[in-house]
Amino acid sequence: MSRRRRYELPTKKNSTFTLNITSMTDMFTIMLVFLLQTYSTAEVQITPDSSLRLPSSASMVNATESVKISLSREALKIDQTKIADVKNADFLPQDLEDKDSNFIKPLFQELDRLAKSESEKDKAFIKEGRILLQADKELPYATLRKVMYTASMAGFPQLKLVTLVGE
Amino acid sequence: MSRRIRKIKIDHNGEFELDLAPLLAVMVKLVPVLLVSSAFVQMMVIESELPQVVNEAIQRQEQQPTPTNISIELETSGINIVVTDKGQDKVETIPMKNGAYDYETLHAKLVAVKKAHPDIFKLELHPDGKVPYDEVVKVMDAARQARDTNVKFPVFDTKQGKNVETNYMFPEIVFANMMEG
Repeated sequence: MSRRRRYELPTKKNSTFTLNITSMTDMFTIMLVFLLQTYSTAEVQITPDSSLRLPSSASMVNATESVKISLSREALKIDQTKIADVKNADFLPQDLEDKDSNFIKPLFQELDRLAKSESEKDKAFIKEGRILLQADKELPYATLRKVMYTASMAGFPQLKLVTLVGE
Repeated sequence: MSRRIRKIKIDHNGEFELDLAPLLAVMVKLVPVLLVSSAFVQMMVIESELPQVVNEAIQRQEQQPTPTNISIELETSGINIVVTDKGQDKVETIPMKNGAYDYETLHAKLVAVKKAHPDIFKLELHPDGKVPYDEVVKVMDAARQARDTNVKFPVFDTKQGKNVETNYMFPEIVFANMMEG
């Protein structure tokens, strides 16, 4: 009695298959257009602080290399380094000079250190005293004025206010 | 012996598959590059980047011995525009409208002031300490440029020897009370 052989699917050992990549190309084309639209040509990339809401303005001037100061409702920072605390939209009394309430001592010390630092002092923006100020839009002008005042006292008079585009 | 020419058959209705693999390879490389350099939140700065003619006009204004001075006092109760001409102060007050600053009227009044004093490009800003920063930026926006593109102001170009037109009003804004104690 002969056993019936099981039917096997015919397989080609060296066969190739073609992947349909048309839909993937479509997706990439859409992504490419979107990314090209948001492509930033600015020489400086500004990363906004999460606790900070910037005001909007019609200005369309790109930022240039400067010392980046951010002033939120919680803290005053240079780049990502915390310089002083902010409570109730004002600086703490221990951070301010006794005789001059507009003078923020830790900010002056840090800017002064930057201006005198061997590695930083030869940079053009330090020599010219350029500052990029990101400040929360709800903060009162009096708090901002303290930062501006201290910065100009430390030899950084060129102030640039960072704003969002559009309304 | 006759030679036969074989006729090549061309199938005009035939389909062919486009090789998209190289295109995809380019895109796969481009997408990460663009993702890194994308600005999802566009941020700009407020500063003066002005045409040469406007810059020269500002320098001429600074050289004047007794320049006309225009300043804005941003109070919690409203906005005052102070024009000091030949030692005389002329104050125009813009009251609050529905509890907010009236930027439309401020802009219209500043356009009128600019038309009366086309040589002035500098404006002194005196915000009150309690005024939020957002309002200060809005006032600066209202003062920097004419919103109506048809509104132009004459500036004398020394190179061409004639007046040219610009829509800049008061691009040089100075926080006049910054150094006050």
